[in-house]
Amino acid sequence: MKNTLIVLFSVIFGFSLTAKDFTVSDFGAKNDGFTINTSTIQKAIDFVHEQGGGRLIFETGSYVTGSIYLKSNVTLHLEQGATILGSTNPFDYIKDAKIGWMSMIFAVNQENIGITGKGTINGRGFLTAYNMVNYIHRGIYTDPLKYDRPNETNRPQNIYFRECKNIRIVDITLRDPGSWNQTYDQCQNLYVDHIYVDSKSYWNNDGIDIVDCDGVVIKNSYFDAADDVICFKSHSAEHMCQNVVVDNCVGRSSANGLKFGTVSRGGFKNFKITNLTIFDTFRSAITLAAVDGGEIENIVIDGVRSINTGNVIYLRLGDRWAKGKKPYMKNVTISNVYAEVPLTKPDAGYNYEGPVEDLPRNISPASIVGLVENKIQGVHLKNIQIVYPGEGNPLYAKRGLSAEELDGVPEMRDAYPEFSQFKELPAWAFYVRHAEGVSFENVTFTAKKKDYRPSVVLDDVKDVSFTGLVVHEPESVGKQQVFSHKTSQLIIK
Amino acid sequence: MKFVLICWLALCLPWALQGKEYHASLFGVKSDGITLNSRSIQKAVDFIQEKGGGTLVFSVGRYLTGSIRLKSNVMIELREGAVLVGASSPYDYISVGGVRALIVAEGEQNVGVFGKGVIDGQGKGLVASLTTQIQKGYLPEAISQASPALVAMKGCKSVTVTGLHLQDAAGSALSFTDCSQVALTDLWIKNQAVPNMRGLVQSNCVDLVATRVMNDLVASGKKP
Amino acid sequence: MTKNLLIVLFLTLFTGLTTYAEDYKASLFGIKSNGTTLNTTSIQKAIDYIHEKGGGRLVFYVGRYLTGNIQLKSNVTIHLEEGAILLGSTNIYDYNLAERFPSLISATKADHIALTGKGVIDGQGRDVAYQVSDQVQKGILKDALVNDRSALWRPKAIYFRECTNVDITGIVIKNAAEWVLVCDQCTYLKIDRITVDSKAFWNNDGIDIVDCQHVIISNSFIDSSDDAICFKSHDPTKMCDDVEVRNCVARSSASGIKFGTVTSGGYKNFKIINNKVYDTHRSAITIATPDGGVVENILVDSLYAYNVGNAIYLRIGARWNKGRVGSMSNIRIQNMYCEIAEGKADAGREYEGPIEDLPRNISPASIVGLPGQYISDVTLRNIHLVYPGNSNPAYAFRGLLPAELDSIPEMPAAYPEFSQFKELPAWGLYVRHAKNLTLENITFTAKLKEYRPALVFDDVLGGRLTGLRYEEPVKKKKQVHFYKTKDIIQTK
Repeated sequence: MKNTLIVLFSVIFGFSLTAKDFTVSDFGAKNDGFTINTSTIQKAIDFVHEQGGGRLIFETGSYVTGSIYLKSNVTLHLEQGATILGSTNPFDYIKDAKIGWMSMIFAVNQENIGITGKGTINGRGFLTAYNMVNYIHRGIYTDPLKYDRPNETNRPQNIYFRECKNIRIVDITLRDPGSWNQTYDQCQNLYVDHIYVDSKSYWNNDGIDIVDCDGVVIKNSYFDAADDVICFKSHSAEHMCQNVVVDNCVGRSSANGLKFGTVSRGGFKNFKITNLTIFDTFRSAITLAAVDGGEIENIVIDGVRSINTGNVIYLRLGDRWAKGKKPYMKNVTISNVYAEVPLTKPDAGYNYEGPVEDLPRNISPASIVGLVENKIQGVHLKNIQIVYPGEGNPLYAKRGLSAEELDGVPEMRDAYPEFSQFKELPAWAFYVRHAEGVSFENVTFTAKKKDYRPSVVLDDVKDVSFTGLVVHEPESVGKQQVFSHKTSQLIIK
Repeated sequence: MKFVLICWLALCLPWALQGKEYHASLFGVKSDGITLNSRSIQKAVDFIQEKGGGTLVFSVGRYLTGSIRLKSNVMIELREGAVLVGASSPYDYISVGGVRALIVAEGEQNVGVFGKGVIDGQGKGLVASLTTQIQKGYLPEAISQASPALVAMKGCKSVTVTGLHLQDAAGSALSFTDCSQVALTDLWIKNQAVPNMRGLVQSNCVDLVATRVMNDLVASGKKP
Repeated sequence: MTKNLLIVLFLTLFTGLTTYAEDYKASLFGIKSNGTTLNTTSIQKAIDYIHEKGGGRLVFYVGRYLTGNIQLKSNVTIHLEEGAILLGSTNIYDYNLAERFPSLISATKADHIALTGKGVIDGQGRDVAYQVSDQVQKGILKDALVNDRSALWRPKAIYFRECTNVDITGIVIKNAAEWVLVCDQCTYLKIDRITVDSKAFWNNDGIDIVDCQHVIISNSFIDSSDDAICFKSHDPTKMCDDVEVRNCVARSSASGIKFGTVTSGGYKNFKIINNKVYDTHRSAITIATPDGGVVENILVDSLYAYNVGNAIYLRIGARWNKGRVGSMSNIRIQNMYCEIAEGKADAGREYEGPIEDLPRNISPASIVGLPGQYISDVTLRNIHLVYPGNSNPAYAFRGLLPAELDSIPEMPAAYPEFSQFKELPAWGLYVRHAKNLTLENITFTAKLKEYRPALVFDDVLGGRLTGLRYEEPVKKKKQVHFYKTKDIIQTK
C-alpha cells in the first residue's frame, strides 16, 4: 500500500512540470458547437505528441468530435466553459479493434497522458444511441438489439484507455455517454481527482470503470450514474485490480454504489476505500462479487454513509464463467457505516431507473453469501448502524426458519450476483451463508416497524462473533434476533 | 414553390442502369450544409460496395464533407441542386498518390461521380486555413502539395466523371494517376478560388477521354 | 325595428367583448413549462374548455411548452406572453397524420380564432423532418421520398382551414418541418406584426394564403428557405380575392412575393404596397398561373428589392390545368426599385436555393404567356431595374435571329420560374405572348457591358412605351428588339 502511494505521488508531481501549451483552435478547431473537429483535434494531438508533449488547451466553447486517440505526454486541458461534445452520428466513432468498444477519447499503450481542467466532456450519448438504433433498424449496422438497445460495445463511451501508464484525470466534468462513461483497462498509475460525473443519458451509463488496473487513486469526486457508480472489473484472468485508494467520493446510481464485478476473472486486491457517500441508489451501496474465478483480498472500507439505498452490503462468491478457476474472498474489513434503507424504490423517477422487479420480496438484508465448497473468509464489520423500514409481512412473501426452508434458499451459483437474487431471505438485517471467520463489533440494527423475520440469520458459518450487537424492533420483546443453522463457534458477547 | 420538378428530369438519366440506388438519407446524411457528413457518406459507400455495388444518390441540398474514399462498383450521383461541399479544415482530407482530395480512390474499378450537381471545394477558405497551419508549422508540406483537389484517383480502372459542375478547389479540380479507361464528359470546371490552379492533372493514364470539358480558370477570381 | 336592431347589435358587441376579455392561465389546466413534458392533451383540454365556456384567451407565460398537434376552436385565442415558447414535439406521431395537412396548430371551420402576444411558436421542424425521413426509410410511414425527403408527412406549424375572422398578431413563428403558416379558404384574415423564420428545412414557405378572401398582411418580417409571402389556389372553384400586403419585409431562397405555384382557381383584387425583398434567390415578385387559374386586377406599388436573382416574373403555363385555360390580365406594377444580384443572392444559407445546372447569364425580368394565351393589360410604371451586366456570349448565348428566338422553349408544363428558359436574349426585360403592354418611365441600368439588348419583345400585340431609359457603359447600341410584334407606340 505504501509503495502504491509513493508511485502515485510521483505521478501527480512528475509530469506537470514539463508541459508546453498548445491551443486547439490554433489548429483550426471550431468551438461553434456544430463543426465536427475530429481530424483537426487528432492532428493537434499528434503534433503535440511529436513535439515531445505538452498540454492541448481547449478554450471556452463547444468542440464537436468523433473518436480521437490520445498520445503519450499529451494532456487535454479543458478550460472552464470549454466542452468537448460528442458527435451524435455513430459513424463518427471508431470501434477500436483491440479494445472492441466504441469511444470518443481513446488511448492505447500510451504514457503520461491526462485530461484536466474545469471543462466538460459531453458524449450526448442519448442521441448517438438513438441514431444507432435507427441504423440498426435499417440494416446498415448489425446488432441483435437485445433489450431493444444496441449492444454496449456499439455505443460510444466518453473515455477508454487501455494499457496506459501514468494517467491524470483531474477537475473535469464527464456527461452523457452512450455506454459506460470512462474505462481504464490494464492501466498503471491512474490518478482521478475532483471530477464530476453525470452519467444517466442512456442504458449502462456507469460512473467510472476500472478494469485490471494497478495503482489507482480516485478521490474528491461526485458521480451520478444510471448504472454502477465506481466499478472495478477484471476482464482478464491474468490481471487484477490492485493497490487502489478511493477517498471522499459521493455517488448516486440506479444500480450499485461501489462495485467489484460483475466480470471478475482475475481479482481485486489491496483496496482502501474511505469516506464514501452513496444516496438514492437502487441496489447496494457496496457490492463485492467474484463470480468468474476472481480473487478478493485485503479490502478495507472505512467510513460509509448510505442514505436511501436499496441495500447496504452485498458480498458474494459465485461460479459463473470461472472455467475451473477457484474464486476466493478473504480479509474484508468494513467499518464506520451509517445506512438507511427505504421501503420504496430509491431511484424512482430517474430517467433510467433500475428495473422494477418481478416481486414479491420483503426488504432484503445485507448479505454475505459464499459457496458451499468455497467459503468467504475473514469479514470484519465494526461500528455499523443500519436503519431498515421493517414491515416484513409473511403473507406477502415468506422464508421461515425451519431447516428445510433455510436449505431451500437457492444457491444460484451461476446467476448474476445482486442482493435481490434470492428473492425473500429469512432475515431483515443481515444474512450470512457459507462463511468462515466473521466478526460483528459494535453493530446496531434498527427496524422502524415490526418484521416477521429475525434480524440476523447465519447458515453454514464457522467462527462467528458478535460484540455489542444492538437490535431495535418495535413490539418484539423477547424475540430471538440471531438465528443460526449449521453454524459452529458462534460467540455472542 | 417546389424544387421537385426540376429534378424529375434528372431522374430520367440513363445512369439508372448503374445498379441499385440508395438515397443519402438512408445513411443519415444531412443536407443542411453545416453537418460534417464524412463518416456517414463513407459508411454509405462501404455499405453499397458490400451489397454488390450501386449508386449513392444526393438530391438537392448542401452536403458538407471531408474526404470520401470511393470503392469499386460504387457511383455517386449528384442530382441538380445537390452540392458536395468540401470541409474547411485541411485535416479532414486524405490523399492518394500524394494528392489530397475530397473524393479519392485507389486501385478501384467501375467508379464515378455523375449528375447535374456541383462539387464545391470551398477552396478560398481551405487555402486560408492551410496557409495559417503551414505558417504555424503544424503542416510540414508546401501549400502546393497540401491543397486538396476535388477528385483524385490512382491506379483506378473504368472511371466516369460526367455532367458535373466542379468548382473552387483548393488544388486542381481533377487528378488522375496511373488510371485507365477514364471518361470525363460534359464537365464544367470553374476552378477560380485559387489563381493558377488547373482543371485536370493526369499522369501516366491510358485511354483517358475528355469530351465537352469546359475549363474556366480565370486567375482573378472574377466572373467572366 | 331600428330599436330592436340596436339592442341586438349592442348585445352582440357586449357579449363579444366580455368573452374575449376572459383569460385562462395555462397552469390552470396542468400545462407544464419545463420543455420536456408533452402537453398536447392538456392544451387541447384547455382549448375545448374555453371554447365551451364561450371563449377567451389561453395565456402562456414565460417557459417552454412542448406539444403535439392541437386544434383551435371558435372564440379561443392562444396568447403567448413574451418568453413563452410553444415547442413542437419532435415525434411525428404526436401530429394529426390522419389529416391531409398535418400541423402543430390546426383549426377547421372555426370562427374568431387568434394567436397573439410576443411569444414564439417553434416547430422544431428539422428534428421532426429527420425523424419522418427515418420512419420512411424504415418503411413505417409510406412516402415516395421525392428528392430524398418526405412530401406527405412533414407537419406545418399552423394550418387553418375554412375559418373566419382569424387574427394572428405579434408572435414569432418559426422552424416548421414544412410550410410555416397556412390559411386555406379562410375569410377575414388579419396578420399583423408577426415574424416568420422558416429556414429549418426544405419547402419552408413563410406565409401561404390559399383561396382566402379579405386578407390583410401587414408590418411583418418573413425569412424563409422557400417562398416568403405566397398565394396559392388549390381549389378550381375558389380563389384568393381582396388581399392586401402592406409594409412587409421578406427574404427567401425562392421568391419574395409569389403567386403560385398551385393555381387552380386564381387571384384577383390584390394590393401589394410598400414592401421590401432582399437576399432572395429567385424573383422579388413572381405571378404565375400554370394550372388554369385566373389572375386579374393586381396592383403592386412601391416594391423595393435588393440583391435578388430576378425582378419580376409573370407567367402563364399549362401544367395541371385539366382543360381550364389560365389567364392573366390587368397587372399594374409601379414605383419599384430593384437591384439584381451578380452572384447567388442567398449563398451560404443552410437551405439555399438549388444551384442550377447552368450556363445562363443574368436573366431579365420576364413576362411570358403561351401562344394564343396572352398576358394582357400589364402596366409597368416608374421602375428602376439595376443589373450587374457583364454577360458573356462565350459562356451562354441567345441571339436575335428569328430561329434563335423561336428556339426558346415554350415549356408550358414546366415548373414556372424565371430561370426555366436558361439563356434569354434580353438583359432588362423579355416579353413573349403578351398584349396591351404599357411601359412608362422605366430605367434599365446595366453596370457592365452586355452582349444582349435591354428589351426583347416576341409576339407582343399592342403596347405603349413611354420614357424608357437605358444605362449601359456602351456608346451606341440598339436596346430594343421586336419580333412578331405589332402596334407598339413609342414615345420619349
